[in-house]
Parts: sequence; C-alpha cells; structure tokens
Amino acid sequence: MTTLDADTVRHLSEAQVSVELQTEDMTLNIGPQHPSTHGVLRLVARVNGEQAYDVKPVIGYMHRGYEKLSEVRTYPQITTIVNRIDWVSGYANEVPFIVAAEKLMEIEVPERAQYIRLILTEMARISSHLVFNASYPLELGAATPLFFALRERERILDLLESVTGGRFHPNFNRIGGVKPAYGSGSTTRKQVQDLPAGFLAETRNAMDQVAIAVDELENLVAGNEIILARTKGIGILPPEVAAAYGVSGPNLRASGVPFDLRKTQDYLPYDKFDFDVITGENGDCWDRWYVRLAEIRESAKLVQQAIDSIPSGPLQAKVPKVIKVPKGETYVRAENPKGEMGYYLVSDGGSGPYRLKIRSASFSNISMLPWILEGALVPDIIAIMGSLDFVLGDVDR
Amino acid sequence: MTQSPSEGEAAASAPEEAEVHPLQEFADRVAAAVGGDAEIQFDTVKVKVPADQWVDAHQTARDDLDLVFFSWLSAIDWANEVEAGDPLSEEVDERFEVMSALSDLTDGNLVVMSTDLDKEEASLATLTSVYAGANWHEREAYEMFGIDFAGHPQLEHLYLPDSFAGNPLLKSYPLLSREVKPWPGTVDVEAMPEKDEPTTENPES
Repeated sequence: MTTLDADTVRHLSEAQVSVELQTEDMTLNIGPQHPSTHGVLRLVARVNGEQAYDVKPVIGYMHRGYEKLSEVRTYPQITTIVNRIDWVSGYANEVPFIVAAEKLMEIEVPERAQYIRLILTEMARISSHLVFNASYPLELGAATPLFFALRERERILDLLESVTGGRFHPNFNRIGGVKPAYGSGSTTRKQVQDLPAGFLAETRNAMDQVAIAVDELENLVAGNEIILARTKGIGILPPEVAAAYGVSGPNLRASGVPFDLRKTQDYLPYDKFDFDVITGENGDCWDRWYVRLAEIRESAKLVQQAIDSIPSGPLQAKVPKVIKVPKGETYVRAENPKGEMGYYLVSDGGSGPYRLKIRSASFSNISMLPWILEGALVPDIIAIMGSLDFVLGDVDR
Repeated sequence: MTQSPSEGEAAASAPEEAEVHPLQEFADRVAAAVGGDAEIQFDTVKVKVPADQWVDAHQTARDDLDLVFFSWLSAIDWANEVEAGDPLSEEVDERFEVMSALSDLTDGNLVVMSTDLDKEEASLATLTSVYAGANWHEREAYEMFGIDFAGHPQLEHLYLPDSFAGNPLLKSYPLLSREVKPWPGTVDVEAMPEKDEPTTENPES
C-alpha cells in the first residue's frame, strides 16, 4: 500500500475536475405510497443523476367521491363524511360546513356553542401540527421529536375523546350548535347537556404542558445541524407562486404572507381573542416547520383565553326536527390546520344539498409540487414534500 | 346651526346604509371592472361574466383588483332530470355553471366568478395562463362534468383511472352503490317480520 505525502495530497485536493460526467435521463416512479404514509401518492419523475425534472404527481388513490355522496345524504349525515376529509384534524373540517348550512338557515348559534367549537378547533389544530412536528423530523432522520410530540398529541386526543366520544372523527357539530356532551358522570339526558365535569380545567393545564413541550421540541430540532442543512434554503416557495396555485395556511404564511382566515372571516368568534399570525421569511422548508411549531403556541393561547371567558348558556339553538335548508348558495371558508377549507353549498330547499363543492387545502397545496420539485435533488423531494404537510384524504376527498 | 343640517342628513341616511350589504361596494367594484353582474348571497359575492370574457375577467381581477389568490374552480350541473339525489323544486335552464373563487391576501375579500355553458358544447378557455393553480381544478371539472377547457396543457383524468367512462358529478350519472342497494333514505332498515309469521329460526312460537 502506498502512502501519499502531504504535498501530493494538497496537489490532488487543488486539482480541478474538468471531466463532464455523462448522465442519462431515467424515469423514476415513487410510490404509490407516501414515504411516511400520509396516504397514498405516486410521483413520476424524470431523473438525471440526482436531479428530478417534470415531476408528475398521480393522485386519486384515496378518492371517495364525497361531493357526489353529499348529493344523496341529508345534512346531519354529511358531517360524518366531511370529518373524514383531513383525518388528522377531523373536527376542524366539520365547522365550515355546519356554518354554511346555518348561514342559509339564518340560525343564531348560542355563544357557548361557538366557544366550544373554537376550543375544539384549536385543539384539532394543535393535534395536527404536533403530528407534523413528529413526522417531519422523522422523515429527515431524527426519531426523538416524535416521542415528545405524540405524547402531547395523546393528551389532546384524550381530552377531545372525553367531550366528543371520538379521537379522530368526532362528528360533534350539529346544525345550530354542538352535540350535548356525554360522560359528565350522569346518564340521564337532561343532566348531561354540557361539557364533562373538569374538562375546561384539565384542558387549561394541558395547554400549559403543550407550551412546555413546544419549547422542548424547538430545542431538540432547531439546534440540529443536520436538520438545518436539510431544510434551510431548500424548497423555496415565493409568495406570488403560492397565491397563483392557491397554496394556503402555514405554507403560505411561511412565504411571508400574513394572511389568516381566522383574522378576516367570522365563522368563529376569533375577533374576541388575542393571537399572532406567525410568518416565515424565506418560504423554505425550515420556515414551514417553524411556522407550524410557533402556531401551536398561539393556538394554546387561544384555547386558554376561550376557557377563561366562556359564557354559560345553551349548547343548541332551536332547530326543526327535520333539517331542511332554504334555497340559496353560499361559500364559507375557514382556516384549517392545512390551510383554507371551504364549502360552496347550493341548496334547493331540500333535506340535502343540490351541490356541495368541497375546497380542501391539501389539493391546492400539492398541485404546486411540479413547480417546487423542478430540478430538486432526490433526497430533497422528501424534505420538501414533508414540509408541505398534506394528507391525501384532504387531496382526494 | 351649521352642524345641524349635516347631522340631520347623517341620521336620515343611516337607516338606508344599514340595509346596504357591507360587501355591496366591493361587489359593484368587481362587477364594473370585469364587466359582469354582481349578486350577494349572505357574505358570498358572485359575479356573472359572459363565457367569452372568462379569461379577460380573471386577468382583470388579478391585475387590477388584487385578487391574486386562486382558491378553487368547479361547476354545477343544473338539470331537471336527476338520477341521484333530489330533483330541483322548480324547472331550470339546462346548463353548466362554471365557478371560480378568487381572493385577495389582505382583507379576505372573495369573489366567485361564474359563467354559464351550453351542455351540448361545454367548452371554456383555460385559466392556466392567469392562475397556474387552475390546472388541477380544470382537470377535475373535465373528468367530473365533461367540460372541455380549450388550451389546457394536460387535460387528462385526475382522480379516476384513464379507462373510466362517464362523468360522475353529472346529475344524469347514477350513484352505482345506491342502484344496488337503496340506502339510507326511506328504505333504511329492513321491515321487521310480523309477529304471527312463522320463522325458520324459532319454529316453536
């Protein structure tokens, strides 16, 4: 074995490689499966060396035809359908649909019910963002944050279950209010018309715990050089591209646009509370991770404020036994964990919609994939896709 | 003295203003700019534009009205013959209504652009040159309603397999699972057997 002396090594290290590597295009098929199973997605990419071009997402593996189904279901039946769209935050999907129906029926929802909706929506957001904070570092090779994030998420899901009876698919909203909650220790219907005993106090404590866990997560991830190297400056999404593709929610805010439907729409009484809209600076993977982490803190703040000021009163407005929605059309959109979720409801006065257009956030968010993955390195595809936080149920509907 | 007339005016005009929808001014501004008719239902502003001005109207909305955010595009099949779901209570003109939703990214104002298409020749110019995000939404409308988007770069099925025949969101398209077994609706549960009816499971009764 020959050993190289120091001079030779220096000479070699300074040598310029002038040979162009000859590479060939090949077609790479990724999936049908998301690398971390957020649902089933297939990508077809033309790969030259390590770079991908002409990436074509192939979707539809989860298509359940909810828009057609909605035309043959009654309004109360549709809430069960819609909370399966984005199953990571099932509760949040119900709210804009119910609000759309209430708008057409001109129902005034009792304040207490609105506060409960707000509390549960924010808990669903925290739970969804915690799943992101668990899975995203994992996709980049860091396993530890998962345990911190899922531990807190379990806390939230237990509380959600204690009120709604479901961890993922609560089906808790009723037109005119929310379902009378069971589980408060009493079995007769008259006495259980409210939240379970101790729920508000426990949730308040849980929010303190979540805030601590967010700090832990930030310490774990933010100082990790590998994660920094894999996310900083990777997958930059300029705001004008995001807007043209309809990319919304944390992905849009990470690109520096301070737009949050909770501030502009009135589907829930967010105007009574104080919270910040978190934005990023560069619109890269790192910012998208950070925005979702910091939004957990804001949501926890919102929940605590709502608990402190929740009024007493009924949970349900007076509604007819058979729900019929008067003739009319309206579009109601809400800030869901994944972005803008909206329902265009067309009613003809019947017990089910004539047409229900479901606008889901992830659909628009990943329609932008061919743009953002153009020329990306193959390992960065995972980093970019993970940072967009989509769920295929929310894409395919 | 000088103040009282203006106060009187303000008091007189206040009740009138209360009846005007808060979005009326915005709706009129959009309708005037894109050349269409505005209609407000609850807090949704809908602007009807002629089909041949579809792309121009969107160009104007994006460039002059700051409606830079492309939310969605879809269609409604207005039909009198309905295979799945309830038929309409009143007769309508048979047509497709194509709608797109555009928003700004500051105040949260949203406009639903709408245009009517003849069912026999359902074709509309593509919006992909104005909003890149229209690509997938138009593919969805193409496979679900059979609407052609002229100039679209890749008008193929989006959700459904290539071999799939038919356009599922048409009102003339039956819901197949419902054809096989009527559910839920009127025939929700099977009828209970009559008391005196002899059953094979329990011959003693």
